[in-house]
Amino acid sequence: MDPARRLGPAEIDVFAQLAVSTLLLGGIYALIAVGLTLIFGIMRVVNFAHGEYLMLGMYLAFWAFSLLALDPYVVLPASLVIFFVVGLLTYALVMRGVIHASHNVQIFTTVGLSIALQNVALVLWTGDFRVIRPWHSSVVIRLGGTAFNLSQVVAFAVAVALTIGLLLFMRRTHTGRVMRATAQDRDAATLMGIDTDRVYRLTFAIGIACVGAAGALVAPLYATYPQAGLQFVLIAYVVVVLGGLGDMAGALLGSLIVAAVEVAGSYVFGAAWKEVLYFVLFIGVLVFRPAGLFGQRGAETLGA
Amino acid sequence: MRRRAFFLAVVVLVALTGWLAASVHGQSGEYNIGVHEPLTGPLAGEGKRHLEGLEIVRDMINERGGVMGRKLAFAVADAPDPTAAATEATRLITREGVRIIVGTFSSRLCGAASEAAARHNAIYWETSCVDPRYSTRGLKNAYRTEIDATGFGWYNVEFIAKHLAPRFGKKPSELKIAFLSEDSSYGQGVTEAARQRAKQEFKMQEVAAEYYNFQTINDFTPVIVKFKQLQPDIVHHIAYTNDAPLFWRQAREQDFLFKALVHAGATGYGGVDFGKALGANANGVFALLEPGPGFKIEALRPEGQAIEKAFRDAIQKRTGSYPLGGHQLAGGGLWLLKVVLDRAKSDDPEKFRSAVMSLDLPVGSMINGWGVKFAENGQNSNERVQHYMLQWQDGQLVTVWPEEFTTKRAKWIPLGAWDQRK
Repeated sequence: MDPARRLGPAEIDVFAQLAVSTLLLGGIYALIAVGLTLIFGIMRVVNFAHGEYLMLGMYLAFWAFSLLALDPYVVLPASLVIFFVVGLLTYALVMRGVIHASHNVQIFTTVGLSIALQNVALVLWTGDFRVIRPWHSSVVIRLGGTAFNLSQVVAFAVAVALTIGLLLFMRRTHTGRVMRATAQDRDAATLMGIDTDRVYRLTFAIGIACVGAAGALVAPLYATYPQAGLQFVLIAYVVVVLGGLGDMAGALLGSLIVAAVEVAGSYVFGAAWKEVLYFVLFIGVLVFRPAGLFGQRGAETLGA
Repeated sequence: MRRRAFFLAVVVLVALTGWLAASVHGQSGEYNIGVHEPLTGPLAGEGKRHLEGLEIVRDMINERGGVMGRKLAFAVADAPDPTAAATEATRLITREGVRIIVGTFSSRLCGAASEAAARHNAIYWETSCVDPRYSTRGLKNAYRTEIDATGFGWYNVEFIAKHLAPRFGKKPSELKIAFLSEDSSYGQGVTEAARQRAKQEFKMQEVAAEYYNFQTINDFTPVIVKFKQLQPDIVHHIAYTNDAPLFWRQAREQDFLFKALVHAGATGYGGVDFGKALGANANGVFALLEPGPGFKIEALRPEGQAIEKAFRDAIQKRTGSYPLGGHQLAGGGLWLLKVVLDRAKSDDPEKFRSAVMSLDLPVGSMINGWGVKFAENGQNSNERVQHYMLQWQDGQLVTVWPEEFTTKRAKWIPLGAWDQRK
């Protein structure tokens, strides 16, 4: 190697900053994708309204902060509960009717739900961009040559905790096993005496609770507005496919891969290229490993 | 004999029908124009502000006798995206029967909407979109009262070269400039015009030109890390929505220091949401806009002063604030439509066109201190549509340039450390 090309301290700082950015951005994507992965993995429903629940979670944090001066981290436990209930209600009112219908019907239903929720938010709260600045969002941590925001670190930590928690729940508890059994073969599960309707209801509620909580964590970092969900949800789909269609640990790794492609691609080729790059990756995975990078073989046809 | 009676009956009947039709119109006493703005979807915030500006000026017009002797009324349509923009423009013309459409705020919408209007030979009166392609398509009845994006780029570079460079103690050719922009026709139009003028006329040193999609950008740190190594004096950033607060926050986190950030338009840094989001942390950012606080009304011509004052009072009465960009573009544009209709006394496209072309008003004659001189392609002259550089100062966008039009002065030149911009 040419000695002049050896990495100097400035280059090492750049590399370290890009690595940190990847990790933290990946954390945010994982936070949003984990609920989507769960719902897709168990119910085999692509929830196109997922981003709108994120948006509603952001609004909850926004209003709690601006009206009641409550920090989003204080709101976090409450939003888990609130969005669990919202998930139950959505399931009872909307999803239950289409759970046995064709994929097309489910897609139309969730897209419709997505548009309806966006416009409800628009009517109630206007299209203005709203930003909250709790103390932790302006705490900048400088480590070596890198800089990052405390709110981002918390979001990352919660994303990892949430993924591990859900993973353990699915692997270790009876309910988790029941959910996995339902995902693998709905009819057989019914024959074994599993109440699949209850499983779906629970799955949907947990998935929505996760993304509602994600809203509280994302609100200090990004502007809240009726279409805020769209900004992230497309990436969340890529993550779900990449991670293995329903695999929790895969979703976390998938998020980090997407973030790495985005960060490195933006730095090397320019920000305009980031979508080209991760959608090429997305198509590549679909072609060569249809079950996802980490999913079990045949996962894509389960429940079809 | 019978034939003559029959003929007479037909004549009477025709005359009667005509009279009836005319009297129905007369009775209603209203003249309807189509109003076409994004009222739902991602552009709704600004679209609604435009509608508010239009309604306020409509009331001003009606207090002064309306248009063509009739009360001005709106048929309002929602155009959240280009497809809806085209179908709604068609509906306004074919179902609501309007001959003139006023719209559409966004560069994403004005092209589609005006094409649809052109197919029906209706007049399209654009007040806000700045896409340069709008006026290069040879549409005879499509007009634009606002500057186009090349004008934005022109003014921004003018400000950088003539105002900022001397205050930095540098020649324009010594300035290093990094261009960053969202990638819609608006961002591209402004940025490309600015790049061209900066390079060709002032020989500024372009160190970067980056585009991104404002709807999906979630992290600017890779861009900022790259820019930090290039050490630009100026960041020329055309932002659309939440990309502005995101870039500003992350630039601060990364301790990215530059001498000035310049933006153009009522979006991104120019939107009221940016200041709301950041308060005093927004201090120092420049945005090219319509005039804000500090604007010297005395610098206008007498007729301009009168109408500008009436306009500000009406906005104040309805919204309790100084006019915002959306109000000024839409309101200023509608007032100009009234001036044209007063002259044309008709909505016939030919008569309307000759009235538009005959207007020749110097800068300072209209709302926002604008003048009027339309080119054959339907574009109001960029030189007449006077624009102003505003700066965020303690939560408010104030007019700082050209200095003859304002009582306020630009501060924080060059920008100091991030925590010293109080």
